[in-house]
Amino acid sequence: MKIRLYTIPLVIASISLIIIFMALQFELSPPMIVGESMQARSFPIFLMIINLVLVTFLAVQFFNSNPEPVPLEGPPTWGTMLLLIIFYLLTISTDMFIGIAVVMFFMSYLWGERRIYLAALTAIITPISIFFLFDLVLRVRFPRGVLIDWYYG
Amino acid sequence: MIEALSAMGSVILDPNLLLLIFFTTILGVIIGVLPGLGATTGAALLLPFTLTMEPLHAITVLTTIYVSATFAGSITAILINTPGTPAAAATTFDGYPLAQKGEAGRALGIAVVSSTVGGIFSVFVLCGAAPLLARVAYEFRPPEYFALTIFGLSMLASISAGGAIKNLIGGVFGVLLATIGAERVTAIERFTFGLNELYEGLAFVPVMIGLFAMSELLIQSNRINQTINAIGLKAVKLPTKEDYKKIWKTIVRSCGIGTFIGILPAEGATVASMIGYSESRRWSKNKEEFGKGSIEGIAGAEAANNAATGGAMVPTMVLGIPGSGTTAIILVGLMVHGLRPGPYLFTEQVTTVYQIFGAMLVANIMFLGMGLYAAKFFARISLVPRAILWPIVFSLCIIGSYALNSSLLDVWIVLLFGVIGFFARRHGFAVAPIAVGLILGEMVETNLQHSLKMFDGEWWLILTQPLAVFFLLLAFLGLCGPFIFSLLKNKIGEKLNPK
Repeated sequence: MKIRLYTIPLVIASISLIIIFMALQFELSPPMIVGESMQARSFPIFLMIINLVLVTFLAVQFFNSNPEPVPLEGPPTWGTMLLLIIFYLLTISTDMFIGIAVVMFFMSYLWGERRIYLAALTAIITPISIFFLFDLVLRVRFPRGVLIDWYYG
Repeated sequence: MIEALSAMGSVILDPNLLLLIFFTTILGVIIGVLPGLGATTGAALLLPFTLTMEPLHAITVLTTIYVSATFAGSITAILINTPGTPAAAATTFDGYPLAQKGEAGRALGIAVVSSTVGGIFSVFVLCGAAPLLARVAYEFRPPEYFALTIFGLSMLASISAGGAIKNLIGGVFGVLLATIGAERVTAIERFTFGLNELYEGLAFVPVMIGLFAMSELLIQSNRINQTINAIGLKAVKLPTKEDYKKIWKTIVRSCGIGTFIGILPAEGATVASMIGYSESRRWSKNKEEFGKGSIEGIAGAEAANNAATGGAMVPTMVLGIPGSGTTAIILVGLMVHGLRPGPYLFTEQVTTVYQIFGAMLVANIMFLGMGLYAAKFFARISLVPRAILWPIVFSLCIIGSYALNSSLLDVWIVLLFGVIGFFARRHGFAVAPIAVGLILGEMVETNLQHSLKMFDGEWWLILTQPLAVFFLLLAFLGLCGPFIFSLLKNKIGEKLNPK
């Protein structure tokens, strides 16, 4: 029996059970508020029970059809996901726009763009243009950071 | 009726609106020819830009993107064998072989004309069917709405991407996401993890941008080494008299199929084009030409996918149940701009509604012109390197999602749902069911609660309501349909090919 075949149903079933557990921790409302309706926890629990039934069907389907395993993602995909984490860290520590520019530049490079000037130009011009569009036309105030504080004075 | 016609006609007399439709059609065609972007991602990315617009202009932008991007997917399907949108996948079957024979202009001409006829037909059906359905929907009470949303969710089983069970699991998770925040009756917080910003619930737009745009970015990172063999195009040729004789029946049939499929909740242009194509083949006298460059195949797929656009708007506007991934975004757009979808939209905002329909009609005519005269130019855009295009999409996702509520949490939601959507899609789960589930989730729970109150907690009394029973029966058929069809298919297959 290939355990790997059942990874997806197992992951979904585990998430469903965790959600049921979490839902069971919700407060109970007094009957005079709930009336003839249902408690806040009932609906999520009901949904996850449906999901557990569906996951059982999925596992049976996998058992019968024996699907090909999904190949692992290539380095550009893992690299792009790493860039998303770097974006998060740069945004909370420096500035959202620095994060965007850095990620754009390295994403271009990671995806095979070897014309450094083109990648850098795109990484700088795009966020600046979008910033001015949102700031001046749509009146959006962006989160504080090194560049934003400097711009707003 | 006169009010409706004058509202639709007013679109032509409004130069600002015409200009907006013109530029949005160009943008929609560009979005449609860029492989991976498509109508849904494009609409999700543009939604934040519509925030400061008037409701009519904002919805016009979204619907124009919808119709023009759906058509434009055929340009790359024919010229580079890569459908710009999933809805154009069936067009590659015959469009590319015909282009390889040196008849790319003819193939595009047929695609443009068929798409336009399909799109215009569906807008007329929308104008006729939506008010009629709205009149019926006035009578709906919570039990009927509850049953209707269950029907909408059940239709996820037959969405084209992913399997029936996987789609239903996605739909259930979508409904679960709708439970995040304070529960409406008791105000008890659910799954907020102590974050005050989640008290009102999960914002739709960041989830949509994450599921559709950010996950597509990660999918595209797996395809950076794909090479594209573009076919040269001299000029787009309008179909000849002989061509029209050959394809008119196919177009009429596909218009009907596409519009009907579009009207079904949760079905969309992709399913419509596949059925439109297979029905064209079934009814054709020249079956042997299919797959080798049949013009009937191109017309069948293209008329159906554009006819589905107007059809999909019917349940979206009348019942608040999205007919496809893109209409899910349009539905969010309607809500963001204070146009609560439902039957009352047709009494309280009747002028705006018909102006939206009128704008869709104009957009269909505009892309006809663009398809005929500028397809060559648009085809070149599809060759923009992925390594430049997708980082730009990344910045649009981030800034667009932040702009909606000026909240960094929305940005993190985009990233999180981008990764969730990516892994879901890699393992064969479509993301549209999650989006549809999220939108319908609140409707399901609220109407169930109201129904329970109506019937003093006796839930089975819902089954005493004839309309509710009708929708629940449809839901049952929707759930069992794919399984029955696959069983029948296997049985027929065994009869045809006995071992």
